[in-house]
Amino acid sequence: MSMRVTEGMAARTILSDLSNARTRLGTIQREISSTKRISKPSDDPFGTGRTLQLSGELEGFKQYKSNVDDGTGWVTATEASLGHITETLQRARELLVQGGNDSNGQVAREGIAAEIEALTEAVKQEANATYDGRFIFSGTETETRPYELGANDEYAGNEGTIKRVIGTGVEVPINVNIKELLGEGNAAGDNKLLDVLRDIATDLRGGSEENAENLRGTDLARLSDNLDELTRVRAVVGATTNRLSTAGTRLEELEEASLQQLSQVRDTDMPEAIVEYTTQQTAYETALRAAANIIQPSLLDFLS
Amino acid sequence: MPVSTFAGLQTSLRGLIAQQEALDTTSHNIANASTKGYSRQEVLMSASRALSIVTGSTDPGENHAQLGTGVDVDGITRARDRFLDLQYRAQAMRLGGLATRVQGLETIEGALSEPGETGISQELQTFWSDWEGLANDPEDSASRQAVIEAGKALATSLAELNSQLTNAAEVAEAQFQAIAGVGGEVEGIAKEIALLNGAIRSATTSGSEPNDLLDRRDLLLDELSELGQVSVTENENGTIEVGFGDAAAPLVEGTEVTWPQELVEPKGKLGALLELTDEGGTIESFRSEINAFAEKLADSVNAIHTEGGGPAFFSYEAGKGAATLQVAVSAKEVETAKDGSVGGNDIATKIGALRGGAVDRAYAAFVTRVGTETVEARNGETNAQALLNTVEERRESVSGVSLDEEMTNLTSFQRGYEASARAMSALDEALNVLINRTGRVGL
Repeated sequence: MSMRVTEGMAARTILSDLSNARTRLGTIQREISSTKRISKPSDDPFGTGRTLQLSGELEGFKQYKSNVDDGTGWVTATEASLGHITETLQRARELLVQGGNDSNGQVAREGIAAEIEALTEAVKQEANATYDGRFIFSGTETETRPYELGANDEYAGNEGTIKRVIGTGVEVPINVNIKELLGEGNAAGDNKLLDVLRDIATDLRGGSEENAENLRGTDLARLSDNLDELTRVRAVVGATTNRLSTAGTRLEELEEASLQQLSQVRDTDMPEAIVEYTTQQTAYETALRAAANIIQPSLLDFLS
Repeated sequence: MPVSTFAGLQTSLRGLIAQQEALDTTSHNIANASTKGYSRQEVLMSASRALSIVTGSTDPGENHAQLGTGVDVDGITRARDRFLDLQYRAQAMRLGGLATRVQGLETIEGALSEPGETGISQELQTFWSDWEGLANDPEDSASRQAVIEAGKALATSLAELNSQLTNAAEVAEAQFQAIAGVGGEVEGIAKEIALLNGAIRSATTSGSEPNDLLDRRDLLLDELSELGQVSVTENENGTIEVGFGDAAAPLVEGTEVTWPQELVEPKGKLGALLELTDEGGTIESFRSEINAFAEKLADSVNAIHTEGGGPAFFSYEAGKGAATLQVAVSAKEVETAKDGSVGGNDIATKIGALRGGAVDRAYAAFVTRVGTETVEARNGETNAQALLNTVEERRESVSGVSLDEEMTNLTSFQRGYEASARAMSALDEALNVLINRTGRVGL
């Protein structure tokens, strides 16, 4: 026996088909107007998980970029200061060579010593450089001036390292341990810059033959050694600058890639969605037209 | 045996009555074409008992014949397939349960507002970023305050999510009570079934088939099956015994209703509500998942924050992490470095580096789980709806009123009625001749 088909069945089928078509149309409309393929977890649970992960990554890249910017500022300030110290030391070296020359009298040496002392102050002044209100050479005691000007050569900072995170698990130290370069003067006798500069001044003022020998011999050698060390540290700082700048570029790329992936997972593919929308709309209109045609005729229309 | 002069009139009369009843039934069908739960009715007709007459045959074995006396109405039945009813109720139960589950899960899903700018995941990212910001600027008190505020925002959102879950459970519980409690939907339906049982019993005992009452009772059983599992046993007197869910005693037995009773796994809508709210149910498992997340967050941050001997950053009550999470330090107490130095940032850096780690993953897994469970329930709902539609269609095919069919019947019964009346007139005319004209030759 074939299946009886009643008006109620036809009406129910039409209603359920129309409602399905309307739901599909509504879904695609929402995707287009919100520009998001996923507006709630159940739209695509795993896509949602991925979206959260990618959004987190993206926030991370933004933060790393800001870390890189901050680190770059810090390292640039460090480079400038170390540059100034180098210049100062080169001047000190010239003066030392000049002072070691026997043709200079003691008066001239006294003058050179005064200048050396001024340069020593200048070096300490440079070591007190700040970036964004913080002393960059105090280790992690960034609110403490590393060196007091004057005769006291004691280092007041610590040897802590300041790092910037420039990628997941990638840390770059950005501060220079200035104590390793400048040392703590004659009191420590550590052969570092301040010690050497103080010795040079002492030898210039000393006036004895031994002093003159020192000026030409050990003082010059020690100053040169320290200059070499300074150059090495500057090279490290330069490398850090390069590393930060490379990281900045790489982070831009990563952010772009991440954004693209996020968009692929989360955003509506507009051309596809619009084609789909048109298809669904046509389907809906067709269903409506069909419904209008199906519902109308009945035997009643033909019985007199 | 001779036949009464008026036997033909009786035959026509029976025809008239039968056709009229058929017409009435057709009208009844048409009137109820859109009535929910209505089954189309049919008048059962059969030829009435024949009269035995003597024929002119000389063969003694063949000198009798049966003279038809017209039509009898045997009864009026409804077109109904009980097996389709059983299938319908099984699917209605499934659909009722899944639709309720979808509703509950969608509420929870909405409370997450993920993925988006306002969800917990965004706040978590802000929290990590603020720690990294603090690592860049550990001397700055505004950066410390930012970390505190981000922590508080996270704690508030978690508490809010937790209370939304509590709220969802309460709503589901209230719904359960409204349905299964005293004076609830189940009891209402049960009482009406009991009343109908009484009326049906009286009608059945007097020999008639109370089609409309049966339809009404079947409709109530359909409605009841959305709420929970229904089992029906029919008795000879027309009454039914209705078992509901896993209740110990029958819900309806004759005209007696036993309600409320304890339900453990009633299935249907009530089953879904219990599954959401029960101990170890969906909502509770969600809640313990966000508690675990809150505690993992607090523990991970605290473990690093206390490395330098400082205080814990977050405090919480074990087992109630989401509701009780709080920032336990002031801006001054925020630790940035193990050695306590003002410019050190190892602690802040390490906390910031928690981004993308186990804490983030735990939350993403939770959101994914809510999404997956919603999708599964929704797919189940769509599937149950489709199956229900199929059964409904088949049931409608058997029981539904087709207007075309009714119009055809109407025409044929109308013609039948007219023809019976014509037959009666013909007999009347014949009798007129017999009674008024016979023996009046030449008058």
